[in-house]
Amino acid sequence: MRPSSQFQSRRGSRFNNNLEMPRKHKPDYILLVIIILLLSIGLVVIYSIGPGLSINSGVGANYFINRQMISVILGLVGFAITAFMPLKAWRRFEKPLIIISVIAALAVRVLGQEVNGAYRWIQIGGFSFQADELIKFALLIWLAGFLASQIKSGAISDFKKTLLPIIMALFIIGVVVAGVESDLGTTAVMMAMMACMAFVASVPMKKIAIFVGVIVACVVIAVATSSYRQQRLATYLHPSSDCQNSGYQTCQALIAVGSGGILGLGLGNSVQAYGYLPESANDSIFAIYAEKFGFLGTTILLALFAALFVRLKNIIERCPNNFSRLLVTGIMTWLSVQAFINIGAMIGVIPLKGITLPFISYGGTSIMFVMAALGIVFHISRYTTYTVPTKITEGDDYDNSHYGRRLRGSRNPAISSRQ
Amino acid sequence: MNMNNSNKSFNLKAIRNINLIFIFLMFIIGFFVIRLFYIQVIRYSYYKQSALNDQLVQSKIPATRGLIEAHDGNQIIPIVLNQELFTVYADPSLVKNVNNMADKLVGVLGGSKSKIVTLANTKNTRYVVLAKKISQSQSDKILGFHIPGLGTIGQDYRVYPQGDLVSQTLGFVGDNSKGSYGLEQSMNSQLSGKPGYLKAITDINGVPLAASKNNINISPVNGKNIVLTIDVAIQKQLQEIIQNAAQSEKSPLISAVIMDPNSGAIKAIANYPTYNPSDYSSVTNQNIFTNAAVSNSIEPGSTLKVFTASAALNQGVIKQNTTYYDPSHWLIDGFNITNIEEDGGSGIKSVEDVLNLSLNTGATWMLMQMGGGQINLKAREAWYNYMTNHFRFGKITGLDQGYESGGIVPKPDIPFQSGDQQNLAYANTSFGQGLSVSALQMDSALSSVINGGTYYKPYLVDGTTDSQGNIAYNKPTIVNRDVVNAGTTKSIIALMQQVVSKHYQSGFTYLNFPSNYIVGGKTGTAQVPDPKGGYTDNIFNGTYIGFVGGNKPQYAIAIFVTTPTVSGYAGSYGAQPIFGNIVHMLINESYVSPIGN
Repeated sequence: MRPSSQFQSRRGSRFNNNLEMPRKHKPDYILLVIIILLLSIGLVVIYSIGPGLSINSGVGANYFINRQMISVILGLVGFAITAFMPLKAWRRFEKPLIIISVIAALAVRVLGQEVNGAYRWIQIGGFSFQADELIKFALLIWLAGFLASQIKSGAISDFKKTLLPIIMALFIIGVVVAGVESDLGTTAVMMAMMACMAFVASVPMKKIAIFVGVIVACVVIAVATSSYRQQRLATYLHPSSDCQNSGYQTCQALIAVGSGGILGLGLGNSVQAYGYLPESANDSIFAIYAEKFGFLGTTILLALFAALFVRLKNIIERCPNNFSRLLVTGIMTWLSVQAFINIGAMIGVIPLKGITLPFISYGGTSIMFVMAALGIVFHISRYTTYTVPTKITEGDDYDNSHYGRRLRGSRNPAISSRQ
Repeated sequence: MNMNNSNKSFNLKAIRNINLIFIFLMFIIGFFVIRLFYIQVIRYSYYKQSALNDQLVQSKIPATRGLIEAHDGNQIIPIVLNQELFTVYADPSLVKNVNNMADKLVGVLGGSKSKIVTLANTKNTRYVVLAKKISQSQSDKILGFHIPGLGTIGQDYRVYPQGDLVSQTLGFVGDNSKGSYGLEQSMNSQLSGKPGYLKAITDINGVPLAASKNNINISPVNGKNIVLTIDVAIQKQLQEIIQNAAQSEKSPLISAVIMDPNSGAIKAIANYPTYNPSDYSSVTNQNIFTNAAVSNSIEPGSTLKVFTASAALNQGVIKQNTTYYDPSHWLIDGFNITNIEEDGGSGIKSVEDVLNLSLNTGATWMLMQMGGGQINLKAREAWYNYMTNHFRFGKITGLDQGYESGGIVPKPDIPFQSGDQQNLAYANTSFGQGLSVSALQMDSALSSVINGGTYYKPYLVDGTTDSQGNIAYNKPTIVNRDVVNAGTTKSIIALMQQVVSKHYQSGFTYLNFPSNYIVGGKTGTAQVPDPKGGYTDNIFNGTYIGFVGGNKPQYAIAIFVTTPTVSGYAGSYGAQPIFGNIVHMLINESYVSPIGN
């Protein structure tokens, strides 16, 4: 147990700070364990479908796993960098990030390759860069900072000062990502991020309703202006009606998932990966995973995602300030909505969207930005309070820390204070 | 840090809102688990079946049909090969732009665009054949268009590098991969092999995945390659000779068989008219498909006198140099047996004269000798025994050909038709009327008479080749060792040689063969049965049997010429020139070893 002198010194340091960030403690290693488990599952699946993928792509069986290993290593490096970067630093990156994002978004449209009607990639040398991931990341940083400062200045309920800029941002995203890139899946993820962050920032419900109205309008416009999306919607409404053409991927995904059964076909025994299911390393990887590992495996994977969200939620509740709270909220929304859209499409409950499954899908850009974002969360987890605020207490920003901020989950302050 | 109440309440509100979001996330995850349970557990068998519908391939793997080869001098060369050709098909329900597809197909295949458009617009079907037997490169081009609903499927077809060579003997292979007529039909099971069977989980391209445990993969057993006894060069020239004869003599059908009398191996067998098996579908008269030398039996006429003489000689009732008084006509059962005009009238005649002048009365005399001086049951039974058991007339030879005719030999004790006079009927058979035989039967029987008395089963398949190209040769099959004795053979050879030399002397100058070869033969001019009864008196079939050799006969030849238009007897003027040409060809091209070698 911790000696009381250390306890004392920590109390002392609290008052020496400018109180923006409370004292540093052990980060959330369980979060890290969950992330590594999810990445490992991704690597195992990519490794085992290598031979199937090589059939139609004309590369060696180890091509995909080698590149994915590099992506994971780069992701871990990104994670390490953001985990050690001071939180305040992100406020300075807002503008550069937004400028780079806009350039990237336009570059995708100009230089990018169309895949299934959407522009998502820029080829740079032998690597392809997915601009969406950068845009999501920039949006996250900007919106968390913006909302935190609006809360601070008490303008969070002000239509002109708070909601209008968000709606403007929404409009720009709608035009750029949905309109220019034709990437509706990513647009949905971004809108959900904005909505959830605004919701957690306590933007009044009425105003969120306006926000949702704009989203619905954007979706309607997006569907109405693209025949390829109308086809997808029709396919969604009647998936089995056209298994040969537009409904092919949906049907094959369902076949992959369903034929997995309870225990799955086994690691090396996926058949659908051998050319039947398109995008089996990227957008369809959940279906391949379900085919290999069955209901047992899909339940475990969903449980891992659930555990990730539990850890993120616990961190959000214990965040030392609004900026970090909104950041983690945005990240949780990002990961969850993206995972739900991806998995939902594979099990036939959401229209098919070209979107990756975080941690699992093949692709470096997604893994790098997701890992960078989680590095920020990991960083924040060093500064969380021990308990969740439950009532309004006068006089202290960190009311709960009076009776001892601790390493979250690892030590009980009651026990240590007894010493 | 300035904190006020509103910030505090924000904290609490944020916590409450994040909890709402979190509950929503957990609800979605819960919903997904339920949905997955439904898909993966409850609906498992449905999706498993759907997966198998796509992934499981169950198919026959066709076996490669065996090649057919033949001798060409000292070499073995293929005369029937396989080539993969492609059928172009379309699924009309998937072809969106029929016009465009038709344009592209015509660009590759040529032909009529409107025909393709009509076919591709066929309603209520998902499979129409647009073109057949296109090449690999044409198929590749068509597949390169990537038109949905358009495809090609490969199939092995027979290729005949020698055109119509031995066509009727070979037969052909139909679209159903089954042999029709000839060797393709009679040896279908050996040639076709055994198809394999594949049941496997495959990738999208149909390649079996090694992973699945229940794969069944039975390799096909390819058909055997067979080597024919046919000599390609002799066969080619025989076909040329009978084709020329058929055209100059205006004969509707000529058949000829050249056999090795010492083994029964058929060196050449041909009929004219013939056809090219690669183009069998354009044949309108199906009779052309049959091998007439095997399946067509006719009344052979005077060529049969060789066998009458053989039977009489072998029974010892006559000798090679026996002479007798020939009255120039015999009255039998109230009918006159007479000769042709050039018989020289009544007088003392020899056995040589009987064959040389082709005396019907002489053949009848020989039959009489078998009955002790007259045609009676003893004579009939003795002659019947020789015809059916020695010379095997009336019985099929068992050659590897379908539709073989055994011919008809009247019974010695039961009238063939009620009211028939047995003795007259038997007198007729002694000079080749009133019984029917095929060219193959004639040649096989002749072989047995000139080879010392061994009847070999005639055969076309010399052996089979294994995958390394080694040939396992078949042995000749002996049916009967005691057809005639050696003395009879010697006499018959001499008598037949004498026939050829006498004919040469009487003006058939083309029978001028070098003296270091033995050449023997016998003509036959047969009356043709009239459908109304009796015989017609203006058309005749010409037949010829003969041999060529050195120390012993090496080739036995039988020729049937149907109703030639010639000035003279059908045997001497229709069939004999063909024999002459064949023997010259065999001698000139050194197929025959001369005397002393």
